[in-house]
Amino acid sequence: MIINAAIYFFGGLAALATLLMLFQRDPVKAAMLMLAALLATAGLYLALSAQLLAVLQVILYAGAIMTLFIVALTVTPAAWKDKPAPARIKRVLGLAAAAVILAELLKVSTALKTVTAAPEFSETGTLEIARQLFGPFALQFELLSLVILASIVAAVALTSRRRTAL
Amino acid sequence: MSQYHLAAISFVLFTLAAAGFLTAGGLVRMLMFLELMLNAANVALVALGPAAPSQAYAVMLFAIAAAEAGVGLALIIALASAFKTLEAGGIKELKG
Repeated sequence: MIINAAIYFFGGLAALATLLMLFQRDPVKAAMLMLAALLATAGLYLALSAQLLAVLQVILYAGAIMTLFIVALTVTPAAWKDKPAPARIKRVLGLAAAAVILAELLKVSTALKTVTAAPEFSETGTLEIARQLFGPFALQFELLSLVILASIVAAVALTSRRRTAL
Repeated sequence: MSQYHLAAISFVLFTLAAAGFLTAGGLVRMLMFLELMLNAANVALVALGPAAPSQAYAVMLFAIAAAEAGVGLALIIALASAFKTLEAGGIKELKG
């Protein structure tokens, strides 16, 4: 009962923060609302008995990625300039497309109505996740290191081009 | 609680982020909503999948999200220095 309430509470909090982000024009305030949504998602993971993911969510998303966003906002003065409000037709079309996506997603998942989730607070230990990562998913996990290496090289190449051009 | 309710929570999160992505004009804001879309997909994976394998996949998705944010923000910084704007509508040249 408490777990169900926690799932709805944190899910609602994340949805509310994302909704407020939609109407927030100030980029830093939008980043703070995104931080609230990410922390609420960490709470959602905790309610879903994914303790390791909750910790990783706080460290990686709310810590590292949010810091990257704040740094990007501070080093790009163009992000602070006053921007014209987006065209009304663009907003209406975007919201309509999102509503269609939601309706379709809910429609295709009606089969899940009969499946009971009954979340209980269990201990899905890090040992079990490590067994999965270094067992059946070992190849994917190793390939991921290449993805991260490629992204580091790409990020350095993209940001150092300006320096070499001068 | 059925799995449908858990799916609905992640679908609502995904849709709100998608709405933000489609209506936002600034690149930083678009990337923020993109991250939230990936976050909602992660929630669906954890909520609906079997415990250990889905959480292992979610850990890998965290790494992919971090890589995506790193490359995306590097691209945004490069675009900002080249075009002096971060509005998606103001960037019309492919050759930098």
